[in-house]
Amino acid sequence: MVATPAPGDASDEVLAERAALGSHEAFETLALRYQARIYRLACRLVGVDDALDVVQEAFLSAFRHLGAFRRESKFSTWLYRIAMNAALMHRRSRTRRRTDSLDAFLPAFEADGSHRGTPAALQVAARADELLDRKLVAEKALALLEQLPETSRSAFVLRDLEELSTSEVALILGVEPAAVRQRVHRARLILRGLLSAMTEGAS
Amino acid sequence: MSELVCSNGVDQLMDYLEDVVPPAVRVALDEHVAGCPKCVAFIASYLATPRIVREATRAEAPASLGPLLLQFLRQHRED
Repeated sequence: MVATPAPGDASDEVLAERAALGSHEAFETLALRYQARIYRLACRLVGVDDALDVVQEAFLSAFRHLGAFRRESKFSTWLYRIAMNAALMHRRSRTRRRTDSLDAFLPAFEADGSHRGTPAALQVAARADELLDRKLVAEKALALLEQLPETSRSAFVLRDLEELSTSEVALILGVEPAAVRQRVHRARLILRGLLSAMTEGAS
Repeated sequence: MSELVCSNGVDQLMDYLEDVVPPAVRVALDEHVAGCPKCVAFIASYLATPRIVREATRAEAPASLGPLLLQFLRQHRED
C-alpha cells in the first residue's frame, strides 16, 4: 500500500488535483507555498501598496478556475498566468501615468554604427549597485517599468526579475519565444540606459 | 559578416546570449567583440542590468501575508 503524502510534501500538481476535487486544505497548502513568489511579482507589477490586493485576487481566481487547470503545463506556470492577468486587470482600473519618451535611454551610435562614448562610460551602469542607493534604484526602475508597453514590462519582469526561462515566459504570455526575447531585450536596453544616466550623475 | 558594427551586435545580443543565432553570426559577433573594447564595456553593463534591478526590487512578503490570504480565501470561496 502506498501512503498518501501529507499536503506539505505533495507535488503542486497532486495538490491542484485534490483541490479541484474539493480539498480546501490542498488549495491552502498551494496558496501558502506560492504566496511569497506571487507577492514579489505583484510588487514589481503594481507596486507594494496594491500587491496584497493582486495576491488575493490571483489566488481566488485560481481557486475558482481549478477545473480549467490542465496538467500539460506546470501548476506554477498556470498560476503565474493567472497572477499576470490579475495584475493587468488591477492596472487597468488605475489612471495611467504620464508616459515620457523612453527612446532617450536606448544606446546611441555614431554614424558608422560604433558605440557613442568611451568604454568607461559605456560600462558605468554595471556599477549602479555600488554607487547608488538600492531604494532609489528600485524607485526609478519601477517608475520606468511602469512606462514600458505592457508586453515588454510583463516579459522583462517574468524573465529577468522572476528568473523564469524564456520558454516558460512564452507559455505564460501566450507568445513565441522570439517575441519574449525581443521584448526583454528592449526593456534591458532601456533599463541599462536609466542605470547609466543615474550612475553618471552619482560618480 | 566582415561589415558587422556595434549597432548590429546590440540588435542581436539577446539572441546571441540565448544561443539562437546561426553559427556564422556567432563567429562574426565573437570576432567583433574580441576587437572592440566599447562592445565589451557595453555587454558588461547589459548583463549587469537585470541583476541590479532584480536585487533592488526584491520585496520580502510580510509575515502577515499568509494569514491574511487564508482569511480572504475562506471568506470568499463560497461566493
